[in-house]
Amino acid sequence: MTDAKEPEPVLLSKHAKNLLRFLHLLPARMSSHDSTRSTIVFFAICGLDVLNSLNLVTPQMREDIINWTYGGLVVPRDDEKPCGGFMGCRAMLPQTEDAHLLECMRQYQWGHLAMTYTSIAVLVTLGDDLSRLDRKSIVDGVAEVQRPDGSFSACVNGSEDDMRFVYCAATICHMLDYWGSVNKETMYQFIMRSLRYDYGFSQELEGEAHGGTTYCALAALELSGQLDRLDATTVERIKRWLVFRQMDGFQGRPNKPVDTCYSFWIGASLRILKGFELTDYAANREYILSTQDKLIGGFAKWPQATPDPFHTYLGLCGLAFTGEPGLSAVMPSLNFSMAAHAHLKQLHEHWRASKGLCHLSIDGSGDATDAATTKKTTSSSPLISAQ
Amino acid sequence: MGDSSDEENLGTDWLPYSERDDWADVTPLPQDDGPNPVVSIAYSPKFREVFDYMRAIIAKGEKSQRALDLTTEALNLNPANYTVWQYRRDILRELDADLQDELDYLDEVIRQNAKNYQVWHHRRVIVQMMNCAQWELELTQNALDNDGNAKNYHAWQHRQWAIRTFNLYDDELEFVNRLISEDQRNNSAWNQRFFVLKHLGFTPQVIERELLYTMNHIRVIKNNESAWNYLVGVLRQSPRGQLNSSPEVVQFSEGLYSAGNRSPYLLAFLIDLYQEQALQRREAIDNNQLAQKVYTLCEDMATKHDVIRRKYWSYVAEHLKTQLSKPSSTE
Repeated sequence: MTDAKEPEPVLLSKHAKNLLRFLHLLPARMSSHDSTRSTIVFFAICGLDVLNSLNLVTPQMREDIINWTYGGLVVPRDDEKPCGGFMGCRAMLPQTEDAHLLECMRQYQWGHLAMTYTSIAVLVTLGDDLSRLDRKSIVDGVAEVQRPDGSFSACVNGSEDDMRFVYCAATICHMLDYWGSVNKETMYQFIMRSLRYDYGFSQELEGEAHGGTTYCALAALELSGQLDRLDATTVERIKRWLVFRQMDGFQGRPNKPVDTCYSFWIGASLRILKGFELTDYAANREYILSTQDKLIGGFAKWPQATPDPFHTYLGLCGLAFTGEPGLSAVMPSLNFSMAAHAHLKQLHEHWRASKGLCHLSIDGSGDATDAATTKKTTSSSPLISAQ
Repeated sequence: MGDSSDEENLGTDWLPYSERDDWADVTPLPQDDGPNPVVSIAYSPKFREVFDYMRAIIAKGEKSQRALDLTTEALNLNPANYTVWQYRRDILRELDADLQDELDYLDEVIRQNAKNYQVWHHRRVIVQMMNCAQWELELTQNALDNDGNAKNYHAWQHRQWAIRTFNLYDDELEFVNRLISEDQRNNSAWNQRFFVLKHLGFTPQVIERELLYTMNHIRVIKNNESAWNYLVGVLRQSPRGQLNSSPEVVQFSEGLYSAGNRSPYLLAFLIDLYQEQALQRREAIDNNQLAQKVYTLCEDMATKHDVIRRKYWSYVAEHLKTQLSKPSSTE
């Protein structure tokens, strides 16, 4: 029996089981997510990590996830356009021995920035050492999709360009500790041109200020080391816009209903600007918990709505910001755990100490002594073969 | 939407490609999901077959009418497949297809998937290929007029793009006026208003007119963040860019306060107004009085009118104290 005044508990183990289920088989009704399967892996794996429940992922499952993720890697040849990165699905990978068909299909295989970001984040979270990545090839792919106005498309062909991919570009370069020929200055200009009169950022240029894109803008500034270019007055005005998004939970735009995911987008934005402590933690928590599915676990956008991995993960991160017991700390700008971030920083140190980029792009075997000090690395694993 | 694949599969009139004579020359190509796939989707038989044929066609590089029809079917099952959309565009270019038909097709697809990025992107590329945005205002107007969708971000983004690219600003203010009068809390419409006027130019006359327009709306609904944000945004467009740039607005806001209104947006405006002056006129005799007003308003916000942001309002008061205690101002 719980006292009516006692706060509702976060059903940690139900959320873990819920996320775990998505790693296996998804129902046919989720076919419209076929092109973004790696984002589902991201929500599930990073969610389990925040829940301190990665132990539920068996060693075999972990290998399968890592191998499946690497299976979506596109490595262009020298004579092909720089489209390196991850595809995030297998819709353009045919099962055939026919060399000619495989060759033709390559024209429609490109890395996608959002899939590349989520794929690398999953690998880092699972403790992989990224030694199977050619960092330069991927960052060349990022630079290739940057637009003259500083914005980014998702991929070399067939994509819109906006703040979401500015964010993904920044996460990728930051995680790979390499910016290559990515133009940070025009990127900064694009971000600042999208700052609106009410001091939220829009998706692109003069669109409406929005919580998700404001997060993308601020995180990209931080990850590219350009956050301190904002003057003090501007920072205070952005904080105002962000703090005003709290109703009980958070909304994404003025006069819109609250939604669980904005506890992350707005919360993380405020964390980046060091203003999160100005919010009302209890009201935020209460809203997120009102969207908790007590039967099957998971969080939804609204109370009584169907939970999904996206809102489940972002709800957990939102709760982690308020110091919810049982949840790991989350790094706001990369949107994964501080533990995963610590692992990433070790990789950076290793890369910087070793022969640098050339070493990694040619010889992906990694350094055995360093690998031993890196948590749960897979670099020495002979189980993994290229697919 | 892809979500409907289950029920579509129950339809009896759909003939599998494997049973169609005109597809007999094509060998379907299954997806290679690797030896131990994760996040596998239990594709319906129809979804599986359509995409097996789609892969076969792409691998062949076939760009034909039947290939175009196949993309229609594939995109109906998964409108988020950006590669299939790209292949569709490559077919349209190769066939030199009538793009007006494509726009008609998209009218329907967008109606069904108004919040899907890929369909709007496709629309944008087709309009660029045609170099004609004749139907874009109508399309987005329909999307926004659709019940409950007046804030659809995709529709607004597309509309702005069309207006900016094809210089379609002429009647936009009229459209915005209508939407704001239908729902004064439609923040998207206020943003669009700013977008249009920024283009036309915030001349002193325009600023004056806009401040008046906004004050008139605030009189009707005082607790409306969208209108207050717009008011501040317009004031910042004035030559001095300051909140006391317009005596009318100062009088208006102080009048609302005197009349007893305690909307958090009004109080936030007054806090900003007095704070700005306190920092700029640090030697003035009424400086301390201005700062005191800010502290009192912040206290009222924190304890009565905006309790959820109590920590924030204490911070605002503290922040001002710190700034005023600094030896000299470089503001």
